[in-house]
Amino acid sequence: MASARISMYLPPDVNPTQAPIAYGCRALPKLNKELQSEHLLTRQKALVALCDLMHDPEYVYEAINIGCLESLKALLKDSDDVVRIKTTEVLYIMATHNVGRNGFLECDVIPALSSLLNDPHPVCRMNLHQAYKHLAELPAGAQGIVFSGLIPALVWKVQREEEDIQELILDTLAPCLQVDATEALSSHAVPFLKQKLLSTNDDIRSKAARALIAISIPLEGKDQVCQYDVIPILVHLLKDKEEEVQANAAGALMYTAVTTEGKYAALDAEAIPPLLALLSSPKSKVRLNAAKALTMLAEAPEGRRYLQSHVHAFRVLEVEHNEAIQRAAQIAISVIEWKP
Amino acid sequence: MEMQRQQEVKRKALARKRAQEQLRPQTPEPVRGRKHVDVQTELYLEEIADRIIEVDMECQTDGFLDRPPTPLFIPAKSGTDVATQILQGELFDFDLEVKPMLEVLVGKTIEQALLEVMEEEELANLRAGQYAYEEIRNIELAEVQRLEEQERRHREEKERRKQQQWEIIHKHNETSQKISARAFAQRYLADLLPSVFGSLRDSGYFYDPIERDIELGFLPWVMNEVEKTMEYSMVGRTVLDMLIPEVVEKEAGHVRPEGGQALVPEIRGRARRPGRRERSAGLRLPGGRRGPGPAAVFRGRAVPGEAAAGGRRARGAHRADGDEEVLGEGRTLPTAGGRRAVKPWRPRERRGPPGTRARGPWGPAGYPRLLCNCE
Repeated sequence: MASARISMYLPPDVNPTQAPIAYGCRALPKLNKELQSEHLLTRQKALVALCDLMHDPEYVYEAINIGCLESLKALLKDSDDVVRIKTTEVLYIMATHNVGRNGFLECDVIPALSSLLNDPHPVCRMNLHQAYKHLAELPAGAQGIVFSGLIPALVWKVQREEEDIQELILDTLAPCLQVDATEALSSHAVPFLKQKLLSTNDDIRSKAARALIAISIPLEGKDQVCQYDVIPILVHLLKDKEEEVQANAAGALMYTAVTTEGKYAALDAEAIPPLLALLSSPKSKVRLNAAKALTMLAEAPEGRRYLQSHVHAFRVLEVEHNEAIQRAAQIAISVIEWKP
Repeated sequence: MEMQRQQEVKRKALARKRAQEQLRPQTPEPVRGRKHVDVQTELYLEEIADRIIEVDMECQTDGFLDRPPTPLFIPAKSGTDVATQILQGELFDFDLEVKPMLEVLVGKTIEQALLEVMEEEELANLRAGQYAYEEIRNIELAEVQRLEEQERRHREEKERRKQQQWEIIHKHNETSQKISARAFAQRYLADLLPSVFGSLRDSGYFYDPIERDIELGFLPWVMNEVEKTMEYSMVGRTVLDMLIPEVVEKEAGHVRPEGGQALVPEIRGRARRPGRRERSAGLRLPGGRRGPGPAAVFRGRAVPGEAAAGGRRARGAHRADGDEEVLGEGRTLPTAGGRRAVKPWRPRERRGPPGTRARGPWGPAGYPRLLCNCE
């Protein structure tokens, strides 16, 4: 039975590692102050509490308004591991919200985060790369990452990190390369991606192929892809079991085959039969990319001659529901049947 | 009495004071123009350093004794004793009561979990939408690049074809120009040879050497000899001419000088004329020497009529040869019909630089120099 006497002890904490969250609008300012305290335990507890709160976008907005990001940036350089891990986690959770991403860009969090790229703790780096990945999904965020010159470092990291972090980095790189690929091209991204294409992990292969798509959009990228003999590997990937890998490989071929050199390299590697097989794949992305890649190859006379006997496959695609596929099929047919 | 004494004492005191004051040295009178003024030299402010007299005093109470504990207050018993007992199930039903609390607890947990899951799902949806957009964007971009590439290739092909065509036309033009130039040159040069030969022949390059030789060598020599012979004959005639007048004069010295003279010079004039014309029309004499002009012989005589005309003609012919100065003005040869007074023949003044010993055409006495060199 409950006793009427007030106990001498404090009520037991639900989570002893978490700082008590003040009521209402006092929660965040108090936590912010605690973040700046000199006492290690206070900081840690405040960080844990902040992690919980940051799932709510309203709290994120308020936190950015009161300048939590500055204190978090200062904490990134802390000597204690737990503090750093928790800080990166908070930042990662904030990056999942758009408000948080915009706040990152305004407060220059990216360079501050980049100081942790070589952190000894894998968890810390994982959080860091997750934050970058979420940031890169926003076009302005991708631009921010490119402008802060992180791409050479990230490309270099792809080689050396563990597998799951590699996936994250590749996911980050793909949108960034779509913004501006020149830095990556000058830091030997293509040979690295070529190696990743041969990895055993499905996800890594598909993400590497996606990054390759992005890198082969500018002309310089196409030239490098031809130069480093990536095309035979891409053709080999067209026969992969994974559909995502197939789709991305077809996409990379599609871009590379725009130049005459790429076209003939693809024809030499006999890309047409696998691509024709992909036209009947269940996934729409695969069909789209395959149709486009075949269109590119049909521009060359040899390709056109070969494909003229396979126009029926494109006719099948023409009656699809997907508008993009319809259009792609029509264009392909018109290119194949073009007479000079 | 006492009062008086006191008053006197007072008076004396006063007088003493006055005397003392007078004796006391006083400040001297001020100098003229100055005045004594009282000045305070002491400090205006005085620090009051009044030390209050302090004395230490002590006092001490006795030591405390511990207060004995209050005895337990047990109030006197009053009222009635009452007892109560809560049986099971009477206070509250735990299951019922706990439900809302549990609901809240579980609900909150689930709500939180749902929020997180929804968050991730939202993110996944966003990502899927982004991928779909990326696909379409990639396709469109590839299409654009392909069209660009196609355009570039077509354009380059067109340029190359145009360039080829241009070169073909150029070559065509050149070839036709070359052909026409060659045809024209051929035609032009066709009659080059005959015309060359013709013009050469016309300008006398093809000459018969013998003919040439004869022309160049023989004929001049012949003419030279002819001239010499003629000159000899002329000289002879001239000498004769000179002799005859002298003789005639001499004889006329005896006979009247008339008539005979008129005829003689006329004949001589006429006889000479064709010869000169012939000479001037024919080949030039080598050395350009001329025989003595006939008119020169008759310089001294003024003869009107034909002889004058002959003389004028002779002058004209001489003028053509450039010996115009030989004849003077107004000197004419005598005519056939006229009997005029003839001026006595005087030797003409010597022309030519005075004092020259060179052998000009005139002899020392004004006579023409003779070819036979007889002086």
